[in-house]
Amino acid sequence: MKMNDQVIRIEGVSKTFGKGDREVVALNEVDLAFRDGEFAVLIGPSGCGKSTLLYLMAGFESPTTGQILLDGNEIRRPGPDRGFVFQDYALFPWKTVLGNVMFGLRRTGASHADAKRIAMDHIRMVHLQGFEHAYPHTLSGGMKQRVGIARALAYDPKVLLMDEPFGALDAQTRKLMQQEMVSIWEAARKTVVFVTHSVIEAVYLADRIVVMTARPGSVKGIVDVDVPRPRKYTEEHYLHIREAVLSLLEEEVAKSAEVQA
Amino acid sequence: MNGQTQAPSTKHAPWKDRLIHAGQFVLPFLVIAAVWELIVRVGWVSATALPPPSAILQRAWELCTGEGLLWHHLGQSMVRLSIGYALAMGAGLVFGTILAMNRVLREMFSPVLSLLISVPTIAWVPVFLITLGLGDRTVIAAVFLGGFFAIAYNTIRGIEMVDVNRIRAAQTMGARGIRLFSAVLLPGSSVSVLTGLRLGIGYSWRALVGGEMLSAMVRWGIGKMIYQARFWNDVTVMFVGLMVIGLTGFLLDRLLIRWLERATIERWGMVTER
Repeated sequence: MKMNDQVIRIEGVSKTFGKGDREVVALNEVDLAFRDGEFAVLIGPSGCGKSTLLYLMAGFESPTTGQILLDGNEIRRPGPDRGFVFQDYALFPWKTVLGNVMFGLRRTGASHADAKRIAMDHIRMVHLQGFEHAYPHTLSGGMKQRVGIARALAYDPKVLLMDEPFGALDAQTRKLMQQEMVSIWEAARKTVVFVTHSVIEAVYLADRIVVMTARPGSVKGIVDVDVPRPRKYTEEHYLHIREAVLSLLEEEVAKSAEVQA
Repeated sequence: MNGQTQAPSTKHAPWKDRLIHAGQFVLPFLVIAAVWELIVRVGWVSATALPPPSAILQRAWELCTGEGLLWHHLGQSMVRLSIGYALAMGAGLVFGTILAMNRVLREMFSPVLSLLISVPTIAWVPVFLITLGLGDRTVIAAVFLGGFFAIAYNTIRGIEMVDVNRIRAAQTMGARGIRLFSAVLLPGSSVSVLTGLRLGIGYSWRALVGGEMLSAMVRWGIGKMIYQARFWNDVTVMFVGLMVIGLTGFLLDRLLIRWLERATIERWGMVTER
């Protein structure tokens, strides 16, 4: 991997929560880089710190040691060079769909007219045309997350960080959203870092799957998924990739079960 | 298709629902009035100590018509309430916001606020009588203080409880400072702020009545009307005053606060519609 291909570099990052007896090491010496335009998935047993790592990239938390670079600049706080999609959507209920999607555009300096035009493009991209004046509470979970994705992409961030974005959706909606996520990513050509605990979701979406160890989290292994899209969930020639990810994971899940028992 | 969902319709027509609702509201009052009227008429209680509802309504009618004394009293009260409550709202929101945003100031002032919030506003009035005089300023100060603490306290709570992911989302999209406040923290805290405004107008209204009674230079006002009735031993006027105070307090809540709730937190789905 060439250095200038790397959008995000995670260098020797550890994260510790609490102090003294209550000290919990969430991440331990993580070294990782994400390439420009790739779809990367972080997967690991629950409590492995995959969401913490994403929060560090977002700037919601600071690493205890090490640093994270975005295009060579250290990440210190949240900012519009990143987009973030939350599991609980975190939409603004006091704004309409259009108002939510326009928010980042207005804050980053677009005029009202430009912001509206670009926001409408993104609302169409996630197939919510006709709902632009609806308030979020009138939408279903899947529709809310479409707004979340449109909102995070509209102001053209360099990377899109997604924290178990489809975790709260029912199985059917989840599958549909995964399929649409692929076409959205192909259209937007953004670097995506996507956290999930579903192997099926990871293998369906990712260019690369980063498998993390049980707590304290570090990189267990990286699995490349060089299967052309559109993929099928059941295609035999890449089921071995699913097996590879699962076997890496199972060791760690067993470990974290021992800790919790 | 505009994505707005309609409220679930019931089997009755809307006007019928409203009629039933109004009936349910009025009925208990009618029952109480009927029993009251009866026990006075039968002679169990003397009509001078407890005038019957019919006499109270008749007196209210007399006060409303002719010179319209009741309107004059009520009008003066409303002016004082508006000034005092507007000041309480402005100061309460600003003070609450500053404390919510600044941890050092909050830790410094929170104990003071908790202590002062439990002092009944009316207990301040004698102090105001000396410092602010016997007139309108004392009454307005009481109204202000009555509303201020409830509004400030609930503003702090509201801002502290804004969903952290909504703040993170806004920061990621480049919002900070005053923008973060006006676009996210203020609307995000609106459920609690409205609770503060509702409690505040109730406390302000109560403080107003007490303040008017204690301020010697105040001639008009609904509280004064009750107080003055003492000199003529006119219990009926006192009851007219009590009725008007109850009704006005109720209407302030229903018209002003409910209207605000409908326009904001109910429209946004932040509370379930009633």
